[in-house]
Amino acid sequence: MSDATGFEPKIVAYVCNWCTYLGADLAGTNRLEYPPNVRIVRLPCTGRIDFNLLIKTFEMGADAVIVSGCHPGDCHYTAGNYHARRRWTMFRELLDTLGFEMDRIHFAWISAAEGKKFQQFITETTEKTRALGPYTAYREICEASR
Amino acid sequence: MSDVIAKDDLLRLVDQWLAEGKRVLGPVKAGDGVILYAPLAASSQLVLEGFVHAANSIKEAVFPRSETIYTYKFNGHEIELSDVDPDSTQCIVIGARPCDAASLPVLDHLFNWDYKDKFYNARRAATTVVTVACSEYDDNCFCTSVGLGPAAEQGSDAMLLKAPDGWYEVRAVTDKGTALFNGKTTPAPEIKVPISDGPAKKFDTVDIETFLKNNYESDAWRDITMRCLGCGACAYNCPTCHCFDIVDEGDAAGGRRVKNWDSCQFGQFTVHASGHNPRAVQAQRQRQRIQHKFRIYPEKFGAILCTGCGTCTRNCPVSLGVLNTLEAIAAVARGSIEVK
Amino acid sequence: MIDQLRQTCRKLLEEGAVKVVIGYGQDKPSMMPHPVFITKPEECDRLVWNDLCFANLAAYITRKEIKALGKPAVIVKGCDERALVVLEQESQFTRDGIYVIGVACTSLPASGVGNPRAAKCASCAVRTPRYADVTIGEAAVGSSAVGSSSCSTADAEFAQLDEFMKKTPAERFAYWKAELSRCVKCYACREVCPMCYCNRCIVDKNRPTAIDTSATIKGNLAWHIARAFHQAGRCVGCDECTRACPAGINLRLLNQSLAKSVERAFAYKAGMDKETPPVIGSYSLEDKENFIQ
Ligand code: SF4
Ligand code: SF4
Ligand code: SF4
Ligand code: SF4
Repeated sequence: MSDATGFEPKIVAYVCNWCTYLGADLAGTNRLEYPPNVRIVRLPCTGRIDFNLLIKTFEMGADAVIVSGCHPGDCHYTAGNYHARRRWTMFRELLDTLGFEMDRIHFAWISAAEGKKFQQFITETTEKTRALGPYTAYREICEASR
Repeated sequence: MSDVIAKDDLLRLVDQWLAEGKRVLGPVKAGDGVILYAPLAASSQLVLEGFVHAANSIKEAVFPRSETIYTYKFNGHEIELSDVDPDSTQCIVIGARPCDAASLPVLDHLFNWDYKDKFYNARRAATTVVTVACSEYDDNCFCTSVGLGPAAEQGSDAMLLKAPDGWYEVRAVTDKGTALFNGKTTPAPEIKVPISDGPAKKFDTVDIETFLKNNYESDAWRDITMRCLGCGACAYNCPTCHCFDIVDEGDAAGGRRVKNWDSCQFGQFTVHASGHNPRAVQAQRQRQRIQHKFRIYPEKFGAILCTGCGTCTRNCPVSLGVLNTLEAIAAVARGSIEVK
Repeated sequence: MIDQLRQTCRKLLEEGAVKVVIGYGQDKPSMMPHPVFITKPEECDRLVWNDLCFANLAAYITRKEIKALGKPAVIVKGCDERALVVLEQESQFTRDGIYVIGVACTSLPASGVGNPRAAKCASCAVRTPRYADVTIGEAAVGSSAVGSSSCSTADAEFAQLDEFMKKTPAERFAYWKAELSRCVKCYACREVCPMCYCNRCIVDKNRPTAIDTSATIKGNLAWHIARAFHQAGRCVGCDECTRACPAGINLRLLNQSLAKSVERAFAYKAGMDKETPPVIGSYSLEDKENFIQ
C-alpha cells in the first residue's frame, strides 16, 4: 500500500448519519474494498459539522479531510445540507485566503444507495493525498506550538 | 568621564550576540507601521529611534505569553509526567525604554513572593537589559508621575544616551551591563548627554492612593469606565501586568500544562465554578486593575505596579487605559467632576 | 453640525424619549474621540463630531451595563449603522427600543497609512445613513454611491484582497504565519466588534476546548479562523477589529475574503437591507456547488 517513503495518508471523513454513513455501510456489506486510510466520524447531519472540527483534524495530524452527506433534496432534516453547502462555500474561500492546501479538503454527496460511489471517492481521495504527501506546512505550525 | 559607542559598532555588536546564539529582543517595525518588541534575526531590523514607545512591552523576555511548565503522556491507565527545564538561554533586550526596564524589579516581588517562580527567575537571570534614555515623549507618557523619568535606571543593566553624530553614550548600571560593553566603548570625556525633563507630572500618587482607599464603592468607577470594553489590549501589553492562567493542552496521547497570560479585564476572569461572578460588571474589573496597581501592590510590596509608560492608553481602542482613568479619578478627588 | 447634533440629543433627553445618548466625546484635545454616555441634557455639550470618531458605537447596544441605563439613542455613521441592521435582524433589540441618530460623513478622512478609516472609506457605499430616525449633515460631494443599498460595490472594495490572492497558497500561508504569530490573544478585536456579542465566546469554552487557549501559531490560526468565520455574512466591514489590534494584524483582509465570497456567491452584503434574509440561516436550491463531488 505505502509508497517508497512509507507514507500512509491519514484522512478523516465527517459523514452524516442518514446517507453517507449508510453508503459506507453498504460498501462494507457488499464487500467493496477501499483503502483503510480513512477514519469515519458519524454526525447527525452535514449541517451539524462545525468548521472547528476540520481545523482540529488538521491540528491532530490529518493529511486530508472529507465532508460528506445526503444529496440536495434528501436531507433527513429537510435542509441541513443546504445550509452546510452555503457555509462550506464561504469557509473554503476563507481557507483559500489563508493559504490552506485546498486539495486536502473534499466534499461529496453520497447517498445510502451509493456504496460504489463511496468506495470510489475514498479510493480516489486516498490516492490523491498519497501523491500530495504529508501536510507538512500544517504539521510545522503544530510542531512550533509545542 | 563618558564612554561612547558608534551606532554602527552597536549594530555590529548586536549581530555578534546573535552569532553567539543569544536571544536578542528589540523594537522592530511590524505590519502597518506598528513598532513591537520582538526577537531579532539581524541588527538591520532594529529600530532605536523615531518613536515614543513600542505597542507592547519587554515582559516577554521574562514572562512569555505562553510557557510550558510540564508535559504529560498517557500510558494505558498510567500518566507519565515530565518536567520542563526553565529556559535559560542568554537574552539581551536592546532598545528598551526606561519605563519597560523599570517593570522588572517590580515584577521580581511578585514572582518571588510566597512561591519562587523558577521559570521567571531563570529567564530573569539570563536577561540583560540595555535601555535607551528617552529624548521624546507623548501625551500618554507619565513616568514622572510614578517616580521615574526619561533616564531612570531601575531595571537597566546598561543605558544608552543618544549623543550627536551617530554616537551613543553608554552608561553601565550593573555588572551585567559592564560585562556586556567591556572593551566595546571608547572613552570620550567631552561628551555628556543632557537628560530631558520628561513629561510634566500629571497626578499625585498619594492623592490617588487616598482616593482608592476611601472610594471602593464610589459611583465614579461606573461613570469613568462605562466605555471600557473589557479587552486585554491594556493588560497584555503592559510591562507590569502579570496575571496568568494555567491550562492543559493536549489530546488522547498526552499534552502539556501551560501558563498563559490572562487579564482581569475579561468577564470570564473571576467566574467561579458555581457560575457566580464576583466581578459581574466592567466597572468592577477596571476598579480592580487600578486598585491593584496603585493601592494593593504598593501596600504589599512597597512598589507601584505601573511605570507610566502609557502603553495601555495608547493601545486602548476607546482611549481609556490607566492614564485617562487616573486623570478622571484625580478630577473627582479634586471635586471638579460631579459623580452622577 | 455639532450644534444640531447636541441640540437633537438634548431634546431627546429633555423629553424623556431616551435615557442615554451613546455618542463621541473628547475629554482633552490630546485624546482620540471616544465613546461617551450622556444621561443629562446639560451634558450634551460634551458631544463632539469629527473625522477621528472611529469607534462603532453599535457595539454598546448589546452590552448589559449599557442596557441597564434604559432606552438609548446611538450616534452612527453609515458603516456603523449597517451593524445595527444586522443586530436587529438577529433580534438583539427591537427597533422601537432604540433611537438612531445618523451622521453623514461630510468629509472623507485623509487617505494614507495610519488612518484606520482610509481603507474602508475609500470604497464606502453608505456615507449617508438610511435606517436612522434622524440624519444630520449631508454626505461629502464626490462620494460615488451615496445612500445606495445595492450590492454592486465597485471592485475597488476588494482591490487589496484581489492583489493578495495573486500570491501562491504557500506564500499566503507564510504571510499569515508571520502576521498571526504577533497575536497575543488580547481579544480587543472581538470586544470592539458589534457582531461579537456572545456572552461566552467559543475561545472561552473549555469543556471541551475547541480552540487552544495559548497564543501559539497553532492556537492563533484556529482563533482567527473562528473569529473571521463567525462573522461570515455578518461582518459589516467597519474595520474596528483592525483598528483595535495592538499588533497591527491585517484582520480586514480576512473579513474581506468572506465578504467577497458572500457577495459573489449569494449577492448579499451584510447590513444593507433589513428585509433581505441573512445569508447564514437561509439558503437557495440554486446555490452553486461546483466544489462538491
Ligand atoms: S481600558 Fe481599554 S484596553 Fe483596557 S480593557 Fe478597557 S477597553 Fe480594553
Ligand atoms: S498600567 Fe499602563 S502605563 Fe502603567 S505600566 Fe502598565 S501599560 Fe504602562
Ligand atoms: S469583524 Fe471587524 S469589520 Fe467586521 S463587524 Fe466586526 S469589528 Fe467590524
Ligand atoms: S486584537 Fe490583535 S492581538 Fe488582540 S486578539 Fe485580536 S488579532 Fe490578536
